[in-house]
Parts: sequence; structure tokens; C-alpha cells
Amino acid sequence: MDVFSWDGTISSRDFYAAARAFADKWNRSNHGFPPWTWVPSPKHHHLGLPLNQVNGYLILEKLCLAESTDQEHLSSKEDLDIDELTQARNEEVIFSKEGEPVDSATLVEGNSAGVHHYDFHIVYIASYRVPVLYFRAYWNDGQPLVLDEIEKDLPASSAKVLLESKWTFITQEEHPHLNRPWYKLHPCGTSEWMKLLFQSDTSLAKNGVSLELYLVSWLSVVGQVVGLKIPSELLKH
Amino acid sequence: MESPKATESPTAVRKVVIHLRATGDAPILKQAKFKTPGTDKFAKVIDFLRRQLHRDTLVDHFVYVNSAFSPNPDESVIDLYNNFGFDGKLVVNYACSMAWG
Repeated sequence: MDVFSWDGTISSRDFYAAARAFADKWNRSNHGFPPWTWVPSPKHHHLGLPLNQVNGYLILEKLCLAESTDQEHLSSKEDLDIDELTQARNEEVIFSKEGEPVDSATLVEGNSAGVHHYDFHIVYIASYRVPVLYFRAYWNDGQPLVLDEIEKDLPASSAKVLLESKWTFITQEEHPHLNRPWYKLHPCGTSEWMKLLFQSDTSLAKNGVSLELYLVSWLSVVGQVVGLKIPSELLKH
Repeated sequence: MESPKATESPTAVRKVVIHLRATGDAPILKQAKFKTPGTDKFAKVIDFLRRQLHRDTLVDHFVYVNSAFSPNPDESVIDLYNNFGFDGKLVVNYACSMAWG
């Protein structure tokens, strides 16, 4: 594909190729992030159709975003020495001995305060012909976070965009493969900025659109919204 | 000639030459080239760009470097230079389009 006549979109088959290449590269490089995994769509299975490998999406699960955004909180936790921790444990025990009503749900939440887990799915959307980031967030006990809570984890620039473009940025919609409500980043500008990104690269201008680079470039923009950083090994090409 | 190289003495704060390049219908800056300490975050470059263009505009700018990549504002300028710089400078492209909305 010639970069200058390209419209920034890809086909679903291209998405599959791009996703596999991206996941391979990500999982091979040595960094602290969880891996990306390709999951075949469960929908086809339910419809009795043969499981089609090409029809699926990429997932990265249980990423702890609180680590980077809530550092103060976390470091204060690390500062606690073993004596204090032991004391805290004892107090917990005394509490329940005194016959206080113990709500196991709040106990779990209390222990894991501040730890938010994020699941990210990269799903191909045929009507826009681009990948779309779907995500959900939950506490340690599995209780989902609402958008107001997620907003506090987002970088400051995203919180600003959230105010200015309420309906074209992060919205809650049905996950196309799972049919459950997930948050997603709106894809209406994606093909335009993908085009800009690829036209900036002189070697791509010569050699044509690189599918291997497509999702790295895409995630360099999308990741900034949710605070998902790209390891620098992936950028060298 | 200024040619900052990553291999030079690691103790001194290396300065990186940034070249801000307008694409599409984005306004061109009077002062498009400037030096910045390599230890600075990329966020500082974005802020500089915003101030040079329209301070109070709601329209955001899409900022990216060569190699089809949009840097995280937390990246240091020297890391970006080492990965994407050439000819002694880091070319930063900007367009007047919004990524969202």
C-alpha cells in the first residue's frame, strides 16, 4: 500500500496479521507488562459456525494502573515495616473478636484500597475499518469501577478531553464480541491520525504501509489516553 | 554546528535541538527550532507548542515524531532523540486535528 494514497484504515484480515505481529513483538521484548493474547471470537462459536481464528481480538488483562498514578499512596504502603504490618493484622483480629459486624466485602476492599485492575481489548470495528480500544476496570474483589473513578486514574490530559468531548472520547458501549457493557475510545478520528503518523515516516513513504508497525503506532496514541506506555524496544525499527 | 550525541559525556546535561514542523493547515511557528535540555519531559515541548500557537484555544494539536509514533508526554527528550532523532535534531510534527472528537 502506498502511504500517500492510503486512507488510514485496514481490513479485518490485515488486522489479524497486524495483531499477531504486534503481540509477538510485545511479548518477546522484556519489560514488566502483561502479555497481549489473541482470542478467537466466542460469537462464532455460539452461532455454530466453525471457530475462525481470523475473527477475534487482542487482550491484555489485570494491568495495575494504580502503580503509576497513585505513587504516593503506594510508596507510603511500602514504607511500612514488618512490625507495623503485624500490628495492623493483630488489630484486625481484635476487631472481629470484639464481635463487630464483619462485612467480608469491605474487609477485602480495605486491604486492597487503591489497587485498580484494568483489562484492555483491541477490537477491530468493521464500520470504521480500524482497531478500537475497549477497557474495563475493577477493584481487587472484582467490583467494577465507574467512569468517575476511572477518570481519576487517567492522565491529566485525558481528564481535560473528557470534559471537552464528552460523547466522542470515552463512552460505555456493548463489547462487540462479549455483549457486555465496556468502555471504549471513540474511533471517528483514528483513520485520520493513523494517516498522519504513517506519512511522517520516510522509510514507510518509500516501502509502503507496514502492518507490523500499525498497532504500535496506533497504541502510541491510544495508550496515552489510558496511561498505557509502550516499551521503547518496540519503537526501534 | 550543534550536534548533540547520545554518546557524549553522560554527566553534562545534553541539549537537544527540537524542530517543530507544521503539517496540513497548522500554522507555522516563527521560532520553529530551539534547544532544550535532554532531561526535560516531552510534555514541556507540547506546552511550548501550545503557547506558541493559541493559548486559549480548545482545539488540541496532534503531535508526533517521525517513525509513525506519537510520544508519551512523560518521555524524556533525550530518549526520544536517541530513538527518533537524526541530523542532530528531533523533528516534531504537529497537526491541527484532534485525536478525539
